[in-house]
Amino acid sequence: MRTRLAWFAAFALAAAMAADQAANPAADQTTLDRGKKVEQTTCLPCHSLRLIHSQRLPRATWDRELTKMAGWGWSAKPEDRAALLEFLAANYGDDKPAAPPDKSADGRK
Amino acid sequence: MTPSRREILAALFAASAASQTAASQSPTADDSVAIPGKRPMILHNDRPEDLESFGAYFDAWVTPVDSFFVRQHIPRPAPIDPASYKLTINGMVSAPKDVSLADLKALPQFTVPATLECTGNGRAFYTPKVPGIQWKRGAVGNAEWQGPRLSDVLKLAGMSEAAAFVEIDGADTPVAQTPDFVRSMPMKKAMHPATILALKMNGDTPQIHGFPARLVVPGWDGTSWVKWVTRLTPQAKESGGFFMNPGYRIPRIPLPPGTPARPAELEVIEGMPVKSSIMLPEDGTKFAVGPIPVRGIAWAGEEAIERVDISFDGGSRWQAATLSPQKLHFAWRLWHVDWKPDGPGYYTILSRATDSAGRVQPFVPAWNPSGYLWNGIDRIGVTVEAKA
Repeated sequence: MRTRLAWFAAFALAAAMAADQAANPAADQTTLDRGKKVEQTTCLPCHSLRLIHSQRLPRATWDRELTKMAGWGWSAKPEDRAALLEFLAANYGDDKPAAPPDKSADGRK
Repeated sequence: MTPSRREILAALFAASAASQTAASQSPTADDSVAIPGKRPMILHNDRPEDLESFGAYFDAWVTPVDSFFVRQHIPRPAPIDPASYKLTINGMVSAPKDVSLADLKALPQFTVPATLECTGNGRAFYTPKVPGIQWKRGAVGNAEWQGPRLSDVLKLAGMSEAAAFVEIDGADTPVAQTPDFVRSMPMKKAMHPATILALKMNGDTPQIHGFPARLVVPGWDGTSWVKWVTRLTPQAKESGGFFMNPGYRIPRIPLPPGTPARPAELEVIEGMPVKSSIMLPEDGTKFAVGPIPVRGIAWAGEEAIERVDISFDGGSRWQAATLSPQKLHFAWRLWHVDWKPDGPGYYTILSRATDSAGRVQPFVPAWNPSGYLWNGIDRIGVTVEAKA
């Protein structure tokens, strides 16, 4: 019984990893880390990251959003743009559960 | 070696965690941001502020400023000193001039109760998902706006009768190369007696809502209600610029969901559709058997709300909700039903509004690539449990 469970666990882990790889073959951890850094350095000057992290979009839509932002003054080297797209698709894709809403603190005096 | 149960669980956890890193990667998730003057709000964006009201706040016909939603496209300007405020009126006028706040206050003042709704309120309900702030129900509010008629303001500079549109600019300025927030409006709506340049909102002048002077365009989408107005320009043609085209347009000919826009078939959004929302209880709430108050709001752009029907069985049977007394064009009505569930179980509750023009809230709103104008029959689910 234990062996069967262990096999099942191993299979589940492998399947999850394979699914991630299939959806996103190029996204190694280095790329994702780079994407995250690009987000923090190039998106933050104009708006908070909440605006991004509250959305769940298909990769093609994130790609179009980056093009739209480039038209509005966002600039990044091609490798940085690619890394950011991987980061967004891996973390904020439309296959991910909806973001739990953030709540502001009471601002009344 | 046979793995222990703990190792098995760890492996299973790792497998499920591998695809669920998103929530933990938001560096801002634990920050506590307070927006001065506001109760706790659903925080979509804190810079600039995009704040949604919680369902529990919709318990009054006039939404207090501290509970009112906020939508900023670009950062708000520095606070404007009322004494140095200037409104420029130029373009197709006989005498271009700068007008002071005192000049605006000297004109006849009117109070207009009107519902303001973000054009993208309800975007989160569209499938497939579209980019933009994922508002659900709370990017809407109803206030008493006070100020001179826009028609009287334009007369101060002697507007030409040949002007067909008025362009409106606010004091907010773009960041990087984002477009400036500039809108235009057909003269027919600008001349409407209920279209005012508001100097007060519920008797107050909150800077975050566009004061000392903001446009109030009753029944039209929130995008038309320009904040911190500093320039009015009567002109012959509609304005260009991102926030007129392609922004804030919808397909004239409906598209299959997920299809890209056809630029030539986009038209400017004007009057808003008929709509109702269930504000309490919250979707997914569990109750013990007993009476449950169900309440919400209904509004209809330039029309008035005629009736709201509620179903507690997924739409087989409908019953009329009790409406708040003021039946006004431009302003919402509150509705409520004191519901007594038959017994334990899961209930799908729906709300459907009908307006004075006979428009009825649809099951399926027309999909559009920017997720505007969601007005589908509202739907929540609640569970009623037997008392222990």
